[in-house]
Amino acid sequence: MDWFSYLTSGIGVYVALVVFTGGMAWRVWQWSRTPRSPVRLALYPKPKTGSARFGKLLVDTFVAPQSFRIAPAVMIAAMLFHLAALAAFFGHLRLVHEFDPLVGWLGEGGMNTFAAWSGGAAGIIMMAAILYWLGRRTFGAFKNLSVPEDYLLLVLLLGIVVMGNHLRFVGGLHADTYRAWFQSLLALNPSFPADMAGRGEIWALDWHMLFVDAFLIYFPFSKLTHAIGAFATNLVRSGE
Amino acid sequence: MEKKTIESMVGVLDARMNRQLKQYMDICARCAICKDACHQYVATGDMKYLPARRAELLRQIYRKYFTKAGQFMPALYEAREPDENLIDELYESTYACTGCRRCTYFCPFSIDTGWITAVSKGVLIAAGRGNEMLGQLADAALFKADNMDMFDSIIVDGFKDVERELREETGRDVAIPVDVAGADILYVALAGSHSIKPAAVIFDAAGASWTLSKFEAANYGFFFGDPAKAKLIADRFMNEAKRLGVKEVVITECGHAYRVAEMFYEAWAKEKMPFKVRHILEVIDDYIKDGRITVDPKAITQRVTYHDPCQIGRNGGIYEQPRDIVTAIAPDFVDMTPNRETQWCCGGGGGIVAMEEFNTVRLASGGKKVEQIRATGATILACPCENCRLQIEELDKVHDLGLRIVPVMELVAEALVPKK
Repeated sequence: MDWFSYLTSGIGVYVALVVFTGGMAWRVWQWSRTPRSPVRLALYPKPKTGSARFGKLLVDTFVAPQSFRIAPAVMIAAMLFHLAALAAFFGHLRLVHEFDPLVGWLGEGGMNTFAAWSGGAAGIIMMAAILYWLGRRTFGAFKNLSVPEDYLLLVLLLGIVVMGNHLRFVGGLHADTYRAWFQSLLALNPSFPADMAGRGEIWALDWHMLFVDAFLIYFPFSKLTHAIGAFATNLVRSGE
Repeated sequence: MEKKTIESMVGVLDARMNRQLKQYMDICARCAICKDACHQYVATGDMKYLPARRAELLRQIYRKYFTKAGQFMPALYEAREPDENLIDELYESTYACTGCRRCTYFCPFSIDTGWITAVSKGVLIAAGRGNEMLGQLADAALFKADNMDMFDSIIVDGFKDVERELREETGRDVAIPVDVAGADILYVALAGSHSIKPAAVIFDAAGASWTLSKFEAANYGFFFGDPAKAKLIADRFMNEAKRLGVKEVVITECGHAYRVAEMFYEAWAKEKMPFKVRHILEVIDDYIKDGRITVDPKAITQRVTYHDPCQIGRNGGIYEQPRDIVTAIAPDFVDMTPNRETQWCCGGGGGIVAMEEFNTVRLASGGKKVEQIRATGATILACPCENCRLQIEELDKVHDLGLRIVPVMELVAEALVPKK
């Protein structure tokens, strides 16, 4: 690994994970030590039973049906993006361990085809959603509502996705090779495997990881804390 | 802006900070889904009325003084020290907000712009920019409470006049009881006899044990944005209820007064009240269903529609009782679309009807309500909130809707069948 690779695809990953985990814990701790509103900020109607209230909280947070009704285009883009990001996250777990049952079922060739199609689709969907949001912020009526943070996050996401798509569509390395690199990270001894030496994919991976590192480091200090906070704020619809 | 003033504003924000507000400040994605939810933004397209923008103005101060990230990288978050420009925009966007929370309903994170603007009002008061009219009305209510020796006989005489009016109008003796210790109900009305007479007739028909509060339900301290004053104003009738030992406090057809008494007061007072709080329509609905009063099911022959006041419906949970009452007396009832939790705000809440400077946006923002009412073809609008009625009466004149806008209990009083 040269210094840039070591910074982005080696030590940078550890730094990012520590800051992300510590930052999110700090954020949640900050919220939890702030007293709840003493007055009831309720929205009605509310479900009557505890299980119905819990179910409503999950639906409100994961689906937000009322938001779909009023802003279908934005919500479709948001939902597609989040689902594609979730799919991409699960796909990346292949770097931890090969999905053996799936390989057994689909065969090695079938697995590769499935990964190529699903990963490719997820990457394209995410890129389309990010470009839609960038366009909406830059050219829409809400340019004045946006702050630099909004653009920074979209640029970081775009960088992650573009470089990821580059590795997916242009690069020629198999997941096994990336797994070897990832395993070296897990072993706290980051290094590229021998079959990556001299490959053009390295710069794309380094840039992909640079954006990932920056994104994870910035996450706890950004509005993206809605990933956790929305569960609490949506309680207004289901709890007291 | 002077350092001392800024410190005072930041101090208010600190004092009013709670978990929900902190989360609202931290997680808003500025997705602007709220744009189509707000009647003022829909009517004007003016960014200062966009709910997310209303919150963003307070967030700029929050980021500057309450987050390390905002202090370290202010430009990234547009964190800023408050100045006159910020205060001017904050004033316009905050006091214009009717607190209807329709944006909260449609927000994927349920961000409560009504609560945020309530805190912004506190910040504005600290900056010396609280709305003067609302502040004066709040002070007037407190002056009355502090000088009851001066007002007591005038108030009681006024109630005697209402009894006389009722005798002339109904031909019956309907008592307006005052200061009745041990009564079941303390009824809290508004200034003016229109909120007393129908309730008195209904209580009388139901044989209810009740007494009328000497204080009005309206709470301009709440609209002004000062919870301490709002509590003192509500103290007036809450203390009266405790003194008289009533079983329940019944709030008249007034949206914010119901929410203050039912949702907020115990938290402000830091004590559990020895009585329950109900809206008058909950009580009347029970009277009809329990057979304590009899109403003519065909009493109202014209088409009637019903407006869900935001503070009673979306923010208070009372949707069905008013509809049950109206359908019990008016066979031709047509609901508006949308209704209940997605009902459009009429544009008259949050004290805006008392602030002339917002007349233009207020009347423009009633456009959706006008469309809704027109679509029903109704000639009577049952409306259990004083501010909504004042707003819709004005909309009625401007748009020539030809409506009769009445409290629900007035229709019930008209539909009462005398006991044999």
